Formats: sequence, structure tokens, C-alpha cells
Amino acid sequence: MAAVELIEIEKAFGATSVVKKLSLTVREGELVALLGPSGCGKTTTLRMIAGLERPDRGVVKLGGQLVDDGRAFVAPERRGLGMVFQSYAIWPHKSVFENVAYPLQLKGASNVEAAVKEALGWVRLEAYLHRRPHELSGGQLQRVALARALVGQPKVLLLDEPLSNLDVALREELRGEIASLRAKLGTTMILVTHDQAEALALADQVAVMNKGVIEQLAAPDVVYREPATPFVAGFVGGANVLVGEVQGTSFISEGVSFALPAGTVAPPGPHTLVVRSEDVVLGAEGPLLPLQARLFMGSATEYRLGLGDSVVRAVGSALSHARPGQLTPVSFRSVRLYAP
Amino acid sequence: MKRLIPAALGALLVATVFVPLGLLLSRSGGPGEWLEAWRSAESRHALAGTLLTSAGAALVALGLGLPFAWLIVRTDVVARGALKTVVTLPSAIPPYLWTMGWIALANPKSGWLTLLVGRDRLDVYGSAGIAFVLGTSALPLVVLATAAALERIDPALEEAARLSGATAWETFRHVTLPLIAPAMLSGAALVFVFASASFGVPYLLGVPANPPAPTLTTRIYAEVLMGESGLSRAASSSVQLLLVAVGVLSINAWLARAGRVRLPRGKGLGAKVSALGRSRGLISALAWTTVLLVILLPLGAVFLTGLQPTWGQWGSFTLKHWGVVLQPRTVAAAGVSVLLAAGAALLVGAVGLLIALSRRRWLETLADAPSAIPGTVLALALLVAFSRDLRFIAFERVAFVLALGNTVWLLLLSYVVKHLALGVRSASDALAQADPTLAEAARLSGAGPLRAFVDGVLPQVRGALVGAVLLTFFTCVSELTMSVLLIPTGGDVLGTLLFELQSYADPASAAVIASALLLIVLAALVLQNLATRRAEAR
Repeated sequence: MAAVELIEIEKAFGATSVVKKLSLTVREGELVALLGPSGCGKTTTLRMIAGLERPDRGVVKLGGQLVDDGRAFVAPERRGLGMVFQSYAIWPHKSVFENVAYPLQLKGASNVEAAVKEALGWVRLEAYLHRRPHELSGGQLQRVALARALVGQPKVLLLDEPLSNLDVALREELRGEIASLRAKLGTTMILVTHDQAEALALADQVAVMNKGVIEQLAAPDVVYREPATPFVAGFVGGANVLVGEVQGTSFISEGVSFALPAGTVAPPGPHTLVVRSEDVVLGAEGPLLPLQARLFMGSATEYRLGLGDSVVRAVGSALSHARPGQLTPVSFRSVRLYAP
Repeated sequence: MKRLIPAALGALLVATVFVPLGLLLSRSGGPGEWLEAWRSAESRHALAGTLLTSAGAALVALGLGLPFAWLIVRTDVVARGALKTVVTLPSAIPPYLWTMGWIALANPKSGWLTLLVGRDRLDVYGSAGIAFVLGTSALPLVVLATAAALERIDPALEEAARLSGATAWETFRHVTLPLIAPAMLSGAALVFVFASASFGVPYLLGVPANPPAPTLTTRIYAEVLMGESGLSRAASSSVQLLLVAVGVLSINAWLARAGRVRLPRGKGLGAKVSALGRSRGLISALAWTTVLLVILLPLGAVFLTGLQPTWGQWGSFTLKHWGVVLQPRTVAAAGVSVLLAAGAALLVGAVGLLIALSRRRWLETLADAPSAIPGTVLALALLVAFSRDLRFIAFERVAFVLALGNTVWLLLLSYVVKHLALGVRSASDALAQADPTLAEAARLSGAGPLRAFVDGVLPQVRGALVGAVLLTFFTCVSELTMSVLLIPTGGDVLGTLLFELQSYADPASAAVIASALLLIVLAALVLQNLATRRAEAR
């Protein structure tokens, strides 16, 4: 059964349309990531599921039950959800225990203390039961927020950029924690993030959003290997996106002609060409482009080459002889072409 | 120079504030005399009056302040911006102006509102009236503190409560209220201190009341009027008043430290405005009716009083009282007030900047302290220390000190020291926020230290400083509490002239002068508003 169902929801703030006729189904036990740049409408979508925003049009269903269709509206507190916020949202006037106990107290649950201890155990914070929030680090606060969101055993857990306020090391640690919690509890989760690594690592399904629309909804490896649109390719894979024209077996962009790799079939005419930076070959053959910069990144080196006003990025092992300003032959190992 | 200036300023403050305060304390006798004074029924009555009216004022300000702060920050109430302007208006207008309005509206015999509900059913005279008028005129203290706290709360804190299963009302009680409570209570404590130090309102409403409702400030005034014999009683009342103010402020500071809840920074989304929905009309009507009744009506009553042919008679209008504005006595008083207020304001700005620049904590604390001393106590201390008539023995042979007594210079001194904290605080806050690299960049570009200060630092501090100077000017131009004790014999300032006309001679003329004052204040507010808008637009 669908844990969450959005049917053609739309939302505008003033004159700006933020979410456009968006439909999405999240199955029970699944983790769906809403991935996209800031302003793409992913957080607004999540807040409409939570009931913190109301769609202008469309229907929101939770567990098959209608919670918002423009007339009928189930308030956020009666939707049985849990939510983790980017800013942690730990109440500063309550202790760790009081924060986690709050959802249970509102329900009038018995045996609150045991349940709180168990939930804090999930995030390995049993020892911090009586601390005040200002004594905790960011990572610990976000773990308290996870415990608080999960203690009431919500039907769906909503995660709004839960890791983006943390530094890199903590982010990876907490990412692992979310994955193992999910394995343990089997909670349905919706994760909003702008970090593709986070989405690809955690999600069963990734919904890549752009300008209020889902451009692709698929498993992480599919999104990565077979991006449905140039936007998805550019955002998820960090690929080069070139606008130009196919002529025979060549692709002309900014007045430069690149040979299409063997086996690439496309009708002549305007196209968008997407090539991953690891599929850009330097120093072998092809048109000469000026090398603008060389960025050593440890395991690999990134090269930036000028193409008109834009840049082609290539990632590979070091080309010892290449110096900035030097003209370097550029060719593509494999490409994807998108008709406009 | 770097040591000389702070030392000189410190010495000046000690000589003009703390030595006089010490003299006042010694004049009040010792603990034995205080205990004796404490035993007298009259003294206890006055202290009780101060505590009662101040607590009442704090409650009124809290009760009105919380809903208005909420409406202004969090809802789509009709004409939200205008509502905020009107609710914070009282901070620019001296409290005794409200009192004059309320006397016209709700005196038990002929008040306009009284006549509506029935003679003797409404009586603004007495403790309840004092508390109400003081509470409404100090309303901005609570509204602004609460509104700032409401704006600072991360909306996610409240949303997290909703997602945890709390209704909107439960969220308010369990999350919002505990988070804004410290700011709210601190605002209320300031209202309490403001009310306990106030003189005009309890005098105009408490002395004619039946039975009279004395407070410490009105009692001190009455005792000073008796001359030498009343002075030691006045001094011991001053000690009580000082203890009330310092006590409440210390409790407040202690509470703020002990119960400090750190509000985590939100995403900077600002407060989330929630729609009032179907009840928007009703709630807006209620809010605006309250504002009309509590704030705009008394001001209107002051205007109308000045236009009535005979005081207390509602009917035709006349401009005949407006002649008073041009009478020599009024013009002279206005001139003295404006000059004194301008002088005090400029000094507060300049000395405040100097003290802030010295970056010496002890000096800032020294300059800050007089603002906590009730005006009546400060004025009495200056009176005792610098007066020839009262012949304080220690100073009998010191000529320059004697020269200050009974002159407007003493008045100027009292204005400056009372408001100095305003200049110091705004200058040092602005300096703390100022970007030091601008001055450093100026130095590296070849500017000398003075030039670097003028080009690099001053522009960043100027806005705050101008604000402090303007506020000081407005407070001083209509000052009453200290002026009434320190005014030279036969002289007038606007506050004392109004006070005399209102309480003894001619309420209609008082209303006219008050109206003129109101018009000037409102015009200045509009100008200031336009100036800030232009600055923001740039």
C-alpha cells in the first residue's frame, strides 16, 4: 500500500510557482529522496506532506487516507508523522529526556521513560538523558531530533536536509546511522536533500526535482547511469552539458566540432550533449581547447578547458605535461544526446 | 591623554552623581532612622502605593503587550504596520499627557466616558487609574521585547511540536510561551521600574484622589516642598525608592543570567505569519478598538480639551485657548526646554561616544548606573548637594558648587547624567558591531589615526548615536520628574509649566500646550520615519 501519495499538487508563493502538478507515490517501508538545487520546491513538497503548508490544488494522501484536498484538512499533529529539521529544532528549554518524551506525553502513553530510553538507545545517546540542549554538539542534537521523531513510531519519517548543518565527518557518521535505523525499524522515510551523495547512498528511489517538477524518479543507480534529462545528468553526475548541433558523426558546440564516439546514433539537428567528466579524454586526439586550470584533488586531477564562454571539465590521472594556457586535444569516450 | 580623559570623566561622574547620592543617604540618617521611618504609617502607605501601582502597571503592560506583540509579529491582522506604529507610540510621548487625556475622559464628575456610562461609575483617580495609565504608557517596553523574542524563535521549534502531536494552542503553551517568557518578564520588570520612578502620573491622579493615593515620588515631592524640616524624611523615602528600583533591576538581571535560554539561530527565515482565517475580521476589530480606546482616544481628548470653550463641557469648539501658546511665559519655557534638551542630547552623544571609545568597563558601568536611579532620587541628591537654600554643611565653603544651585545648569546636569547610559550603550553596541578592518584599511591607505577614525569608524556608529541623541532630546524636552524639583525659582520648562497649569490653574491652557507638544512630537516621528525609509531605500 502507498504510505504517501501526492496527486497533482501545486503550490505558489505570491506570483512564484514553487511546485507544479507534482505526483509522487511512496510505498511502505521505502526511502524516497527528493533531490534538487535550492528553490526547486523539494522542501515545500515535504512541508505539504507534513501539513505545514497547504497545496493550492491537488490531493495529499497518507496510508490511503485523504489528509488534504483543498477542503478537508487533517492538522499536522493528527497525521502520525515524525519530522527532523535542518536546524535540529531541539527545544532549548527542555532537557534531552523532556524533548524525546514530549510526543509520548501528548499521546498520554504509559511507560514513557522506558520508551524514551529505548529511542535514545537507537541513536546511542542513553548517557545524555538529563543533559540540556546547549551542552550538546550539532551531531548530538540531530540524533536527539531523530530519537524524538521516531519515539512515537510514526507511519512516515520526514527528513528536511537533516545533515546539511553538520561537518563532513559527522555527516557521514549520521548518514550511516540513518541507514541502520531504517534497517532496524523499517520506517518509511522521505529525505529532502541537495547533496547527491546523500540521496544516492540512502534512497531506494531518488526523485530529482527542478523548478517544481520531478525530472526523474528512479533507483539511484539508474538515475546515475541513465539520466533522463540533461538537468539530471548535470546535477547528479556532475556531467558536462553542451548545447549544440549534430552534423553527421560530429557534434558542433560553440563553433568547435567534436567527433561523436563510435556507435552513437542521432538524427542531425540541435541537441544537448551530456558527457561525464571521467569520459573526457585529454591529450589523444580531437579539437584543441585551452587548458584553463588544473585542480589536484588527491585520487584524481580535474582539468578545466575553455569552450567559448563555458567550461569542459575532465577528470583523470595527471597529465604531467599539461600547463594552464596550453592547447590540449579533447575527445569524448561516451556521450548521451538529448533532443530538445 | 588616553588615561587622562577616562580618569577625568570618571571623577566628574563620581562628583556629580555618587557624591551627591552619598550625601543624600547620609542626610537620611542611618539604619535607625530608616527603621523609624518604616514604622510610620504614612511612609508605609507611600511605599505600598508605589509597589501596588508599579505591579499593576507591569500587569497591564503584560496583559496588553503579549497579545499585541503576537498580532504584530505572527498574524495577518488588518493594517499590521500601522498597528505596530500606534502600539509603540507611547514611548515617544510623556506619560502625563496620557494622564491629562484620561482626566478629561474619566474623571468621576464630568469625564466624557464617565457621562456615557453614568456619573461616578468611572474614576481615573486613585491607584487603579495610576496603574492603568502607567501600564499603557509603558506598553512599548513589553511589546518590543516580546516581539523581538517572537521574531527570533526558529519556526522549526514550533513546527516540531506540531509534528510531535501538539495542537496550535499546546504548541503556544509548551514551546512558544516558555521561550518568550524571559524577554516578556524582563520587559515587565522595566515597566515596574519605570512606574515606580514616575512622578507626573501619580501626582495628577493620586493626590486629588479620594482617599489620596500617595506613592514614594509624590511623597518625596510633598516633603521637599515643606523645606528643611521635610528633607530628612524625603531622603529616607528616597532610600526606599532607590532600593525598590535597584532591587527589581538586580532580580531581573539575576533571572536573565540564571534562566537564560539560548535561542538557537534559525535559517533566518524570520517569523512565520499565520493567517487568522475566518476570525481575522473579528480579531482585527477587537485589536483596533482596544488601540483606539487605550492609546488614541486619550490623545484625542487632550486636543478636544484645548478646543472647548469651558473645561469639561462638550459642545462647540473654540480656538480662544490657543493664545496661550504665544504668551511670553510659554515661549520662554519652550525656549529653555528646547535649549536644555538639545544641549543635554548633544552632550549625551559626545560624552557617550568618548566613554565607549575608552573601552573601560568600570567607566561604562559608572556611566550606566545613574539611569537606574529614579529621577526623583537623582534630583533630590543634586538638590541636597548643590543647593544654597538647603545649606548642606560639607559644601558651605565651596564656592563653585554653591554657584550651581538654583540655576538651569543643575537641570542640564541632571538631564545628562540620567540619560548618559543611552549614549554609552548605543555607542558601545555600535562600536562592538563595527567592522574594525575598515579603519585598518584606512590606516593602510595612508590615513592618520584621527582620519581613520573619522572615515572608517564614525560612519558605522553614526546611526546609533543619532538615534540616542534624538531619543534623549524628546525625553528631555518634556521632562517633568527631575525638573519639578530642580527648576530655578520663578523659571519654567515645558514640563513644569504644563504641570502647574494642569494641577492648579488652567487645564484648558495645559491641554493646548500639550496639544502643541504632541503635534511637534508626531511631526518629528513622521520626519524620522521618512529619514530611515530614505536611508533604507539607498
